[in-house]
Amino acid sequence: MSCGNPVSEEDSLMLRRTKYDKTRICGKCRTNVGNVVIRHAVYCKECFLPNITTKFKRILEPTINVNGTRKKGFKPTGNLCVGFTGGLGSTVLLDLISDCYYSTPTNEDVLKGGKDHPRNAGVWKKATVCYVEICNALPGTRDRTEEVRDVVEQYKHFDFLPLRIENAFDDMWWEKVGGQRSELSLKVDIGNEELVMIPQPIESRDPVAALLAYISALPTQTAVPSAIQNLVRLLLLRTAWSTDSSHLLLGTCLTSLSVSLISSISQGGGFVVREEAQEEWQPTVSSGSRRAIKVVRPLRDIGMKECAIWAWWRGLKVVGKESFLGGKQGIGALTKNFIVGLERDYPSTVSTIARTCGKLAPKDNSEAICLLCERPAQPGVQDWKARISIRSFADPGLASPPPHATNVVSNKTDDLSGPSLTPYLCYPCHTTLTSRSSRGSTASALVNSTPLPVWVAPQLDGKGIVEEWGSRKMERSDMKQSISEFLLPDEDS
Amino acid sequence: MSDSSESASVSLKIEFSGGLELLFSNQRSHKLKIPAQVPKTYGDAASDSDNKPADITFLIHYLRDNLLKERVELFMENGTVRPGILVLVNDTDWELEGEGDYVLKDGDEVVFISTLHGG
Repeated sequence: MSCGNPVSEEDSLMLRRTKYDKTRICGKCRTNVGNVVIRHAVYCKECFLPNITTKFKRILEPTINVNGTRKKGFKPTGNLCVGFTGGLGSTVLLDLISDCYYSTPTNEDVLKGGKDHPRNAGVWKKATVCYVEICNALPGTRDRTEEVRDVVEQYKHFDFLPLRIENAFDDMWWEKVGGQRSELSLKVDIGNEELVMIPQPIESRDPVAALLAYISALPTQTAVPSAIQNLVRLLLLRTAWSTDSSHLLLGTCLTSLSVSLISSISQGGGFVVREEAQEEWQPTVSSGSRRAIKVVRPLRDIGMKECAIWAWWRGLKVVGKESFLGGKQGIGALTKNFIVGLERDYPSTVSTIARTCGKLAPKDNSEAICLLCERPAQPGVQDWKARISIRSFADPGLASPPPHATNVVSNKTDDLSGPSLTPYLCYPCHTTLTSRSSRGSTASALVNSTPLPVWVAPQLDGKGIVEEWGSRKMERSDMKQSISEFLLPDEDS
Repeated sequence: MSDSSESASVSLKIEFSGGLELLFSNQRSHKLKIPAQVPKTYGDAASDSDNKPADITFLIHYLRDNLLKERVELFMENGTVRPGILVLVNDTDWELEGEGDYVLKDGDEVVFISTLHGG
């Protein structure tokens, strides 16, 4: 083979490198001809399916028992909750859980003691599949609840529990899942970087209207999918808590995990990079001493290609889910395009992303929890932000604001007319609510009175903020002023 | 000597999954016939001297021009399927069969699966 001109010399065209190593024979059994290539390794159909099951169990099973071992069988401390989106990963997850932990042998001889004998019961006593419908956050998209119900009800061991994303602004739902009642309702001025909080008396509100007000107040296209993802996550966690679940399983596959890791880090979520893969959560305000919920992603070693092949060969119906990555130029969409392209051309790099992020840990621990996402919040973030960037067009360091900034608003903290939410937020949540695009804000005009999800206000009750609103000692001069018309004049004056 | 009309076309069964069917008249399964010999460069006029056997690259272009109803960019990119779309030929990954250079045979089943609805 020469290195000549491919146009004139046909032999000089370089041979394309194969996507698999060595031969087309299955690398596991070394007998059958391979059917699929996964990260340069060849598998036949008979070896591929058990390989997926092994990877799934290897992630999940060490988390089932409290001490991580399984010498005496699986004894989880609570029930199971599965987050289902209708997407490929969660469809595969449901099938794997059913197949591994709830499948009933049809041969009666195998069922010693009968099908209701504890020996033949599933690992978790109760398994709930939770689906959050997001169509009301994305006008124009269809409601897929019934399609999802049809898929879930094929599995007899699972209870289907549909939620709606507007539940995040629904006080009745909050009460139903055991949420602590707050004395005041909470709105916030998103137009002000300090996120001044505005107390409101508790009154009934339309959850859908509140949700749309929240979404439309967000400043950038990227903020919308981040906010929706956060709301869905908290809805699932609260539901898992209310169903006495010890485990919340999510169908994030390796490819999706790599996308969410890079996307989250791009938006300032580096401090919680470990929590993106696996975390333990319990409500900030809770009664009793129940153990935390383990949030596990058992498909995090299984790529999107493997999930698709599993779904095809098992004949699974995938409902699909809305793509809401914030438009073509949103960080989520750009990241996904990049990672999916990488997976096709350099498949091993995608697992490298997840593996490398799994080795990262923050330098300092933090006891603070973000009120919005209920994840660890890095301390000193606001001071750091103030030191490193010009964040306001009113900054004295700027000679003049750019042409498109027609309303330059002073952002001084002395103008605060109420407590600020900013100190109680983590970096990515604060960025989601306040970051401004260089092309101008996408937020609607009415951003100065934006509702917040129902779980935020109760967390402020113990921080003295509500007490400050509730009663405050007046100055002597103010007291005199308020009753001045009833005071008798001084005899000496 | 074989009858030339028998080798003039190749019958295929095409399946779409993972949401791709929405781009192809919302129909998952299609049966079609394509020419057995096609121009080396898609779009050129047929000639006796500059042909090649029909391969998957030709099939992808053919599907785009004859069955695809909308949103070409969701199916095809840079002369091949968009990243995130898997191709199986007779239940085998096309990466094992030479990808776009695989020569189609009569009765082949080609499946296109989109993985782009996440997990």
